[in-house]
Amino acid sequence: MAKVTFISADGTSQTHDAKEGLSAMELARNNGIADIVAECGGAMACATCHVIVDEAWAEKVGAASEGEADMLEFASSEAQPTSRLSCQIPITEALDGLILHLPETQV
Amino acid sequence: MPLPPENNEITLADLIDDPYPIYKNLRANTPVASVPAANRILLTKANDTRAVKDNPSLWSSNDPNTPMKRAFQAHTLMRKDGEEHRREREAMMPTFSPRNLKTKWAPAYENYVLEYLDRLPKTGVVDLFPALAGPISARILADVLGLPDATDAEMQHWSQALIDGAGNFGWDPKIFEVVDSAHEAMNATIERNAKRLRDTQDQSALAVMINADDPIEWSQILANLKIAIGGGINEPRDALLTVLFGLLTNPQQLEEVKATGIWGAAFEEGIRWVAPIQVSSRVAREDTQIRGFDIPKDSIVMTVQASANHDEDVIENGHLYNALRETVPHQSFGSGPHHCMGTHLARRMVGKIMLPMIFDRFPNMQLADPEDVVWRGFGFRGPITFPVRLN
Repeated sequence: MAKVTFISADGTSQTHDAKEGLSAMELARNNGIADIVAECGGAMACATCHVIVDEAWAEKVGAASEGEADMLEFASSEAQPTSRLSCQIPITEALDGLILHLPETQV
Repeated sequence: MPLPPENNEITLADLIDDPYPIYKNLRANTPVASVPAANRILLTKANDTRAVKDNPSLWSSNDPNTPMKRAFQAHTLMRKDGEEHRREREAMMPTFSPRNLKTKWAPAYENYVLEYLDRLPKTGVVDLFPALAGPISARILADVLGLPDATDAEMQHWSQALIDGAGNFGWDPKIFEVVDSAHEAMNATIERNAKRLRDTQDQSALAVMINADDPIEWSQILANLKIAIGGGINEPRDALLTVLFGLLTNPQQLEEVKATGIWGAAFEEGIRWVAPIQVSSRVAREDTQIRGFDIPKDSIVMTVQASANHDEDVIENGHLYNALRETVPHQSFGSGPHHCMGTHLARRMVGKIMLPMIFDRFPNMQLADPEDVVWRGFGFRGPITFPVRLN
């Protein structure tokens, strides 16, 4: 189990326990976080599960792959240096305490 | 639990003519309704349509009781699930990468827009359906697929033949004859281009599929291209005309869009308002329930995204086109594993390129008479005539 905190653009935050193997997108969706739209369900085809990884966690989470970085250009809110698609972040024990910021819009 | 209520009043003719009042009534009174005319259980609320699409482990895309397989001469990825679907979809994905979109398809499309706008007659009334929207959608798709020697007319004919075949629920042999002869022509064109593209770095769909390290079967390469032909012309065509209708009948919005450059929002609102693909089908893999109604295993539900996009729970005055409204998620590109592969291509081409260019070239364009615009379609929907005066 790992705890992941999602912080919305308006500052509200919620923390959820993730089973290993879930992606951050799936965790958000399973908990009804509407700010993660995730239209394509994790196929890396839509850029509607955009998150900005908290700077303290950026190194541990790692950078976006080339294809993911390309896709982030289609994100509705402009991508930041630590932006990722949450469907591409598998939750592991090493990410216990992870903080993800949600952009203003996904669509 | 009871089975969903049956609605015997709805006819296919009514749905084809104007389904929106019917969907409004269904949303209000029977959002899970068995409709014998369509031989499906119609889901008309946004939450329900999204939940079905997002849960492929319960809802299969493999609906065996349709003429699609016969029409396409193949079991296509549209009707597959899981790994099999993923593999066939990913075979084409490199073509649609953001990089190819930016460096290849968008510049090519821009040139086509210039050329096709130049061709339009400058005086009198012109119908933009056959004169612009259909042909230009065919042209760019031919390039993207790697079939540049297919003419606009051929592409459009093949596309319509596939659509008519897939919708041939009456199993009329004449309709299948038309699509069979289209297959002969398509196969010849595809084979000819495969020879040309073998061992090249070309980024078209045909090239990336045949040159992959672990290519999918030839039969599925053909099927993938035909799915793209069947769906890749009418959708951008109908989307363009729908957005143009929304803007031309709301001149104040058009002025604001021109002033602020929010063409992307004008595009999204158009396809939300009248979704080019209105419905999709899924099959229950096991007994389940929706809103307290029993849905037995093997039932076929129709997710009506056209209705979801007007759902009073998620949008106000959804029946009106309003390019200036606050953005709300819509379901016109679907969701889940079958999420439209052409999403970004359509947004870029129609939304960011065509719309500003056509209004730049013809700033005084007007509908000859909005009443002359005829809308049609239950599965696919859009204007089938679009008479305008350009100057």
